[in-house]
Amino acid sequence: MEDDVKVLLIEDDVAAAEMYRLRLVADGYSVVIGHDGHEGLRLAVDEGPDFIYLDLRLPGLDGFEVIEGLRANAATMHIPVIILTNYGEPELRERGMKLGALEFLVKADTNPAQLSESVERAIGPRALPSI
Amino acid sequence: MPDLASPWDDPDVTDDAASKLFLESVRLASRLASAAGRIREAALLVLRGDVLTCIAISGAAGTGGRGPYRISEYPAFEEAITTGRIVDDATRVVLPAHGESGVVGLLVIAGAGGLDDGLRDALTALSSIAGLGVSQAMAAGELQLEAERSRRLERLKSEFLNIAAHELRSPLGIIRGYSSMLSDGMLSEADRGVALTRIVEKAEEMARLISDMLETARLETLGLELELEPVDLIEVIDNAVQAMRPLLGANHRFAPVAGCGDVAVVADRARLNTVLTNLIDNAIKYSPDGGEIEIDCEHDDRVVSILVRDHGIGINADQAHLLFTRFGRLVTPETSHIRGTGLGLYLARESARLHGGDITVAPTHGGGSTFRVSLPLA
Repeated sequence: MEDDVKVLLIEDDVAAAEMYRLRLVADGYSVVIGHDGHEGLRLAVDEGPDFIYLDLRLPGLDGFEVIEGLRANAATMHIPVIILTNYGEPELRERGMKLGALEFLVKADTNPAQLSESVERAIGPRALPSI
Repeated sequence: MPDLASPWDDPDVTDDAASKLFLESVRLASRLASAAGRIREAALLVLRGDVLTCIAISGAAGTGGRGPYRISEYPAFEEAITTGRIVDDATRVVLPAHGESGVVGLLVIAGAGGLDDGLRDALTALSSIAGLGVSQAMAAGELQLEAERSRRLERLKSEFLNIAAHELRSPLGIIRGYSSMLSDGMLSEADRGVALTRIVEKAEEMARLISDMLETARLETLGLELELEPVDLIEVIDNAVQAMRPLLGANHRFAPVAGCGDVAVVADRARLNTVLTNLIDNAIKYSPDGGEIEIDCEHDDRVVSILVRDHGIGINADQAHLLFTRFGRLVTPETSHIRGTGLGLYLARESARLHGGDITVAPTHGGGSTFRVSLPLA
């Protein structure tokens, strides 16, 4: 069931995190929020999310360091990650994709409804009803 | 010879091309005059706006402000400038150096009163050459200033593009996101209320960013003009507090404003409001774990100080001076994620200074920062 799919949002902007949470919950996902890089890495281990949305500018560890931390841990290395940021520079995009992000989305150009579409694209079979 | 050079503050005037040319002219003039056995001292004076530059043959050189006043202390100098003619008063000969815009300098030969025609002609020719040189050097200086101004604007433009790319995108993303969710009709009534509040807050954040950018552009290109009027201090503080209240985090709160009643200043109300909202915005952003934001006033007969105090991250004392420079945000591991243009404190202090006041920062006892806006009392 969709309800079983858990999304971890690593986002320090409270207003943005709350908005994305509202949309993802309305689309049937369960959502946990990490407000900084360290908390994000800890929740990735403790909560075992199916999918991670990751901001780049974060307190503590930045988004790139978080991906490196996720990839260095066997428990989190396979979790799909999409970068969701205010930065659109090609060199950042390239760096993120090299580190293994599935997509690189610029917040101002991303409709919250697209978040669920990206999750479905990434983990489609698991998002389908199990009946 | 008057000691025009000695008490002045900048001995490096001989570095620019114009000054070198003057000095060379003076040396030539001096040799001629010495040959005639008449000279005691010679100097070249150049007035550029308010600044008077003096280079004497004895080696003394200097530049200083209040040029017209200094000139007016010597009637012979003033007469040569006003009439554009040689003044020979028996103790010194003052020769105007003519440039394209009129008299641009004076060649002063002391102890050479009563020149014979030959020497006078030679000195006149030299002062003309010096005048042309000064004019050309001044024009070159103007071009240099213009080039520097255009480089500064170019830098400003690229810094603004950077703000537009990053800082405006963040509130824009929230506005677009919530607007699309409202138009999808997917939000509950309670969430619709939250969405509208966020949209209003973020639109205001964008308006503040744009206004800071415009104020900076104005300040850099035209300078700001204040619209002064008597302003009740507590009223403008209350307005700023109300405007910023929606931005408080869950753990923030404003302490009651203290000591600011019954104080009136002559100020530009809108700019004073910007000073306060920028300081409050800063206090909120740099105390991410919350805490009290305190505003209080201290005043004596001459000056009122408004103190905006937070209990947040605080500022490294050796870097505090950078805070008030344009785009001078202090980025540390603790603050790198905090949004900001680096314009708010710069504009706040420039505005305070235009009012004849200032803004300084000091650590808050127990952690955090205290910003002090001082303004002269009418």
